[in-house]
Amino acid sequence: MQADLVFVHAARATLAIVFLVAAWQKMRELDVFEAALANYRLLPEALVALTARALPAFELATGLALVIAPGSALGGLAALALLLLVTGAVVINLLRGRRDVGCGCGGIEDEQMVSWALVARNIALLMLALVALAPPVTRDLVWLDYLSVAGSAVAGYGIYLVSSQLIANAPRLGRLRTST
Amino acid sequence: MNTALLVALAALWLIVIALVIAVFALARQIGVLYERVAPMGALMLDEGPAVGSQAPTFELTGLSGAEVRLGYPSGRGELVFFLSPTCPVCKKLIPVLRSIADAERDWLDVILASDGDEAAQRAFYSKAQLTDFPYVLSSELGMRYKVGKLPYAVLLDEHGKVRAKGLINSREQLESLFTAKELGVESIQEYLQKA
Repeated sequence: MQADLVFVHAARATLAIVFLVAAWQKMRELDVFEAALANYRLLPEALVALTARALPAFELATGLALVIAPGSALGGLAALALLLLVTGAVVINLLRGRRDVGCGCGGIEDEQMVSWALVARNIALLMLALVALAPPVTRDLVWLDYLSVAGSAVAGYGIYLVSSQLIANAPRLGRLRTST
Repeated sequence: MNTALLVALAALWLIVIALVIAVFALARQIGVLYERVAPMGALMLDEGPAVGSQAPTFELTGLSGAEVRLGYPSGRGELVFFLSPTCPVCKKLIPVLRSIADAERDWLDVILASDGDEAAQRAFYSKAQLTDFPYVLSSELGMRYKVGKLPYAVLLDEHGKVRAKGLINSREQLESLFTAKELGVESIQEYLQKA
């Protein structure tokens, strides 16, 4: 399926912002992320510290690849792999029946807990990665197209933030509902 | 005609982005609202035993089997730190607790408090090397202090009075409990009013 170049660029830019910010947030509070990762109970203890450092580095590399190599599929494929990996980790814990696992995604003061809503959000990001990988319809871009790309990226990241905030709110609303 | 379309497009983008920002701000405010109106809201400073009042007394058995007495006028201060094995920020603060326990050894006992599944607690207790701290499991303790969000700390003085308490996210916030005790104020707000 082909997509207009503007859509491809907009998807790449949105994903790049998501990954670069997430990497920065994880690196800033590495010990918190390490504890959050251990909490997923997926890795042997010896690997947790290493993975906690590798994952944000991979996110950083993905974000940079999406920005600096717009012609290559590398960034899109890395984004796809990364999203499948983290969504898989969330799904495994949900299937185990665990709900008290912090997302560790970074951002929104990191109050998001794992939930199916989080999986749905990640599936939306996966769709975006597929758009970023779609073979573009080549045409000459004019300056107006760049406005569309920039606008879509900013609005796209904003919508991502809104969804994260709503996911963080959900358990609090749940507690209110059950308490009355 | 073309110019009109361009102007319209630019205006629409501005509006879309402004609306996204507005929706985010609203979602954020709703989140804060949920937090505040929650019956166990830890952010409410006036809930649970008031600062300056006598602390409720507890006699509990620690995970090591030793008896832990809380809230009695024992001549030593007590820092009760509420945590859980599933709270990432709690783990970050364990080294800070260790250094505080060490620096204030002359007058202060640091007690860790949690509740829930005992097997998971024991695993955490030995894995995080917390065996040099008294570690008690009591949901009653958390309920008396109205602990809603973790990590949470309560500082009791030598006479068993509550001196400071609050949600702790960083070393600075933990240290601010001691500052509050030294200054004899309940909160930053009160300190600013006095000044």
